[in-house]
Amino acid sequence: MITGLLNSMLASATPILLASLGGAFTYHCDVFNIAMEGMLLAGAFGAVAVGFATGSWLAAIGGGILAAAILGFLFVVFAVWLDADEFVTGIALNLLALGTTTYLLRQWYGVKGAFDDPSLPAIPDVDLPWLEPIPVIGPVLSGRNLLVWVGLFAAVATWWVVQRSRYGLRLRAAGFNPPALEASGGSVARVRAIALVACSVTCGMGGAFLSLGYLTLFNENMSAGRGWIALAAVILVRGSAPGIVAISLLFGFADGLGLQLQTRYGLAPQFTAMAPYLATLFVLFFYARRKLGESP
Amino acid sequence: MKVRIVLLVLVLALVAAACGGDEGDGGDGAAVENPERIAYLINGSLGDQSFYDSGQVGIDRLEEDFGLETRTIENGFDNAKFEASLQAAVNYADLIFVISYGFEDLLIRYAEDNPDKLFVNIDTVVEAGTGNIVSIDYLEEEGAYLAGVLAASLTTDESVEGTNPDPAIGAVAGDESPAIKAFTDAYTVGAKSVSDDIEVEIVTIGTFEDSGKGKQAALQLYDGGADIVFQIAAAAGLGVLEAAEERGLYAIGVDSNQNPLQPGHVVASEIKDVGRSIYEAHERAIGDGFDDSEILTPGLEEGIIDLTFDDNEDVVPQEIVDQVGQARQGIIDGDIAVTG
Repeated sequence: MITGLLNSMLASATPILLASLGGAFTYHCDVFNIAMEGMLLAGAFGAVAVGFATGSWLAAIGGGILAAAILGFLFVVFAVWLDADEFVTGIALNLLALGTTTYLLRQWYGVKGAFDDPSLPAIPDVDLPWLEPIPVIGPVLSGRNLLVWVGLFAAVATWWVVQRSRYGLRLRAAGFNPPALEASGGSVARVRAIALVACSVTCGMGGAFLSLGYLTLFNENMSAGRGWIALAAVILVRGSAPGIVAISLLFGFADGLGLQLQTRYGLAPQFTAMAPYLATLFVLFFYARRKLGESP
Repeated sequence: MKVRIVLLVLVLALVAAACGGDEGDGGDGAAVENPERIAYLINGSLGDQSFYDSGQVGIDRLEEDFGLETRTIENGFDNAKFEASLQAAVNYADLIFVISYGFEDLLIRYAEDNPDKLFVNIDTVVEAGTGNIVSIDYLEEEGAYLAGVLAASLTTDESVEGTNPDPAIGAVAGDESPAIKAFTDAYTVGAKSVSDDIEVEIVTIGTFEDSGKGKQAALQLYDGGADIVFQIAAAAGLGVLEAAEERGLYAIGVDSNQNPLQPGHVVASEIKDVGRSIYEAHERAIGDGFDDSEILTPGLEEGIIDLTFDDNEDVVPQEIVDQVGQARQGIIDGDIAVTG
């Protein structure tokens, strides 16, 4: 049972993890990016569209990233270059993603609601035979989807880029003190544009995981609010990569546990559906209290 | 001065709109007997490859066979759209099919205001005495009972590939509602009729759209020892079928024949031929007509509810198919009570 729970934790954490890592980039340079929900959905659709056309899962991931990047590009044009309101831009992009994917689903595939074709390529799982004899760890780590590993790797990369690289320094400067960055010869707009590209890449992969990693189909609005949860996660942990990993895993764990509690202890489904949010609030409470204690 | 002109124009426009409205609503009183235009109002969206789509098949057949004009209005589970779409349906059509829950109170109001239209309310029961609402309440529990018999027989049959000795079966439900509860109850009763030891686990995922969540719930059931899971969650249930394929185990589809979706893993599908019941309701509407607040209860006997094994790659042993067939006959003959 515990292996099952951990498996389902990784699966439901991965799209949130990938999206929030992208969100960390925009968080640090002070772009209020609420378009992650739309980017996830566009990524899921782009992956299915390219996967269906080419039959290659690798191209499909590229398609997911490309679709999310179209939204990212629009965000850059409006919110960064034209200095439009980020909130309004983000909402527009989320609605655009939902409407466009639904429309194209009907236009290209003649289906409404869900597109499920046997020729869709699945993103492969990574088997680690040498790990399998180890109890619990083996079955949990082996056989996970490639993008689960990409997500964990991306967390390390995000931490390094934000905290240790030259770009990361500029990124944080763009958020913390934009005039100082401009004065020292950097371009705030450029830094923010790059952050949005990074966000598109991770959200595109998160979407591809939803449609071709965990499942092999696309259905309307399949991101189902995960981008919003990612946004909340980023704000909760203030864009810290280790924090994002922890909170995504916690959320995924509580999500699976909620379903488990229904069958095991007969808890009402309306209650178990709250489990991930309750767990997150609970953690936030202690996190905030600790922060409160630290401040002078 | 300008303000006055604007006001005048506004008043004129309002008057014109009101007159236009009167004209549209007037219509011919005999519309119910010979409907030319039909509206099909759905609380969700087409594309679930089951319930709503099946209804659309019936609407399409009416269009073809009777040369009727039809229009389908989808609401995407947005309650705020219901009233506007009901109004649109009433303006457009003489015979209006309304599918599923959430429309009941509005429906009564619109039926009162439009006595010359006929409303066929599908999947819930409305008894208002307005003289123009008919309800179709499917005996889907009969099919769910058969699904329970099938699931219990499969999980206890050692010759079926991949199953474990654990006598456990599962179901993934989209939400809690009277219609869904009728499914899960009859499923459980059917399973227990095979053996009292069968353990039935039901997970409610709270969504009909999130197929990822459907898969997650099904994987948990399979990992907990269930060999076969019945999906009762529309598009979210497509995830259940994928989980069956991934674990090399079995699932039962719902509302239309989903057996070919994951070949060899969807052993049967409960079918609810919404399309046929719509077609037959139209036949009645132009023929004998209905009684006020009449409730049609099509089930196994009428062939509108059934459990189909078509295209399942013959994974179910013949004796189990026969066993399900006997239960079917028992229900039709009235020897078996599906509610236990």
